[in-house]
Amino acid sequence: MAVSLLPGAALFATFFLVPLGVLVVTAFSRWGGLDLAWTGLENYRRMLDDPVFFSALGNTLFYAAAAVAVQVPLGVAAGMVLALRPRGWKAFRAIIFVPFVISGAAYALVFSMFYNARAGLLNNALAALGLPGDRDWLFDTATARWAVAGTFVFVVGFVMILVMAEIAAIPDEVYEAAQIDGASAWRQAVHITLPLLRNVIGTVILIRLLVDIGMFDVVFILTAGGPDDATATLALYAYRAYLNGEWGYANAVGSTILVVGVVLIVAVRRLFRVGEGR
Amino acid sequence: MHHRGTSLLAGTAAALVILAGCGGGAESSDSASGEVVITCGTCQQSPTDPFLQYNYEAAQRFNERYAGTYRIETLENPNAGSSDDRLQYYQRLAMAEDLPDLFQLNSGEIRALQETGRLHDFAPDLAADEEWAGTFHDQVFDALRGPDDQVWAIPQQRDAIGVFYNAELLERAGYDAFPSTWDGFEQLAQRLRADGVTALALDGDWATMLMWVHLIGTGGGEDFLTDGIAAADGWADDPAVVAATERLRSWHVDGYVNADAFSGEFQNAAAAFLSEQAATIANGPWFVKTNLTGDAASPGLYEKTGYAPAPGWTEGERGVIVVSGAGWVSGTTDERALEAVREFVRFVSSQDEVLAQAVATGASPPVAVDPAAMAAAGLEPLVTGLAEEAAEVTHQYPHVRVHGPAGFGVAWRNLWPAYVDGSMPTEQFLDRLAADARAQAGG
Repeated sequence: MAVSLLPGAALFATFFLVPLGVLVVTAFSRWGGLDLAWTGLENYRRMLDDPVFFSALGNTLFYAAAAVAVQVPLGVAAGMVLALRPRGWKAFRAIIFVPFVISGAAYALVFSMFYNARAGLLNNALAALGLPGDRDWLFDTATARWAVAGTFVFVVGFVMILVMAEIAAIPDEVYEAAQIDGASAWRQAVHITLPLLRNVIGTVILIRLLVDIGMFDVVFILTAGGPDDATATLALYAYRAYLNGEWGYANAVGSTILVVGVVLIVAVRRLFRVGEGR
Repeated sequence: MHHRGTSLLAGTAAALVILAGCGGGAESSDSASGEVVITCGTCQQSPTDPFLQYNYEAAQRFNERYAGTYRIETLENPNAGSSDDRLQYYQRLAMAEDLPDLFQLNSGEIRALQETGRLHDFAPDLAADEEWAGTFHDQVFDALRGPDDQVWAIPQQRDAIGVFYNAELLERAGYDAFPSTWDGFEQLAQRLRADGVTALALDGDWATMLMWVHLIGTGGGEDFLTDGIAAADGWADDPAVVAATERLRSWHVDGYVNADAFSGEFQNAAAAFLSEQAATIANGPWFVKTNLTGDAASPGLYEKTGYAPAPGWTEGERGVIVVSGAGWVSGTTDERALEAVREFVRFVSSQDEVLAQAVATGASPPVAVDPAAMAAAGLEPLVTGLAEEAAEVTHQYPHVRVHGPAGFGVAWRNLWPAYVDGSMPTEQFLDRLAADARAQAGG
């Protein structure tokens, strides 16, 4: 029995425990790849003294909150509507889901053209409507963060597909009983479907938060964190430190992302009682 | 303080890094025939980068000439061309003692990479061959030297950088020549704006920095560009820097610049000029090969284009940026491999090769070339025209990337859009630019 666990344990140790150990130990060190010097809490002190860190932390939480606030309600609504199987529901399901499978990098490139101040679709559309059409949405400090968020918050396919799967698992008898009692479709949706989606909604919120607190590719391609760090995320902030050869500091930032992630997981699990029965 | 307990972990991590770095470099080796084989990290074929393509062809010619004695083996290197990740890539290879025998870096990268102690110093080679050393133009090694007069690279080029302009658009605005003063340039910009033409194509990075450097260099700021910029502070105390910064910003505010001038993508600026929406763009002579004669350019644009030194703050005070560009560096310590490296850098700095490179890339030779051979080579007239004018201008100055901190470009791209949109005053912008440029460079 113990021997049969060895391959799995070895893989777990190689790909999880060792990297985690390196992350934790080097987060308390000055490390540029070879020379490692223990510096205690110095990296964390420096982090707390750096306004760019707080800007990156604020942006990361903003992106995560924006994604949850927009994607989850829209995704749940889309899933509930399509679960009723209206005419053309399969086509709508595919159309809504496709953006989710496009890579973040490709998405970012498309949106960098969409937002282009000189030739982009957005400014041209605004100009056609007689509105000012020369704003550089991604590189104006007033709009950059919102423009970046706008590229991913409407990608609701992932939430929609999970909600549809969860609804399909709800026994028909529940709805039949409600219909016998005279409940309208709206009341069935609000009082039966929605409460039974609590688990899946909690799960998608968890997944969204965990994906978004590590957000890197979209921001890196669209703005590289500028202007004036207005769009920088924690992952990008850590990457910059890594590029500077400050690997210990980068890992201190990485460990902070880990802690933020754990706090969010615990909070969401408690709030939605994820994993508990219906 | 070093801890033994953590050294094992560091060793493990370093081993992972070394493993990750493997494949970038390779051991130089002798083949069975006694031929010395060296690796080159910037000699791969490239359909888009004329410099890489020239390197590839030069390496093939070298291999033919020295067949049986030396041979260059090309490494396929995703970081061969210029990028923000290139320095980090080579730093990893340096830590793993796996640098290629031959590769190219720009001066900022060389300054950072020499700290690893893995680069070959060419100073003794140049001292041992005074005839070869004497062929190079003055000052071409300035940006490639170490603190103790080491020479970390053999320069690939020595270019004068001015401003390309669309003569037809200028003529429509009533100008038959490129303005000779910045005031004149602004008057031209106003007329162009009235005609619906963007005066200047910028990108928030390379092209924008070129104009900043021109404004500083022609405004009495040559000392800043050669010395002051290396300091981490005091940039805002230099009146030439402040005046240049504010003037460049005012061009954005006054609508003389393309609206998409902040992305850091040179193609944004190039597209505006190549589509004739913008009348001028600053860039080096390689712009002719890489863009002006390419498919993206409007038909006939090349024939309408002129190339001039930068205007001056006062009449008769024009200027050009002089850059050495990338240089050939070596990461080997093997004496037989170094023999081959020395032979190769002599080979590529020979008259025939620098002319071949000039024809292929538009870059000007780093060595003195016989004028008759130069004329016979049929070099690009726009480039040679500016090179001749450059000899007469009042101001010659280096690019900000030559003596500035290695992190300058990243810091500039981050802060410049915020400065232009009014988020910070000039003094704060320059102070932060200096501090961030140094921090980004790991300084």
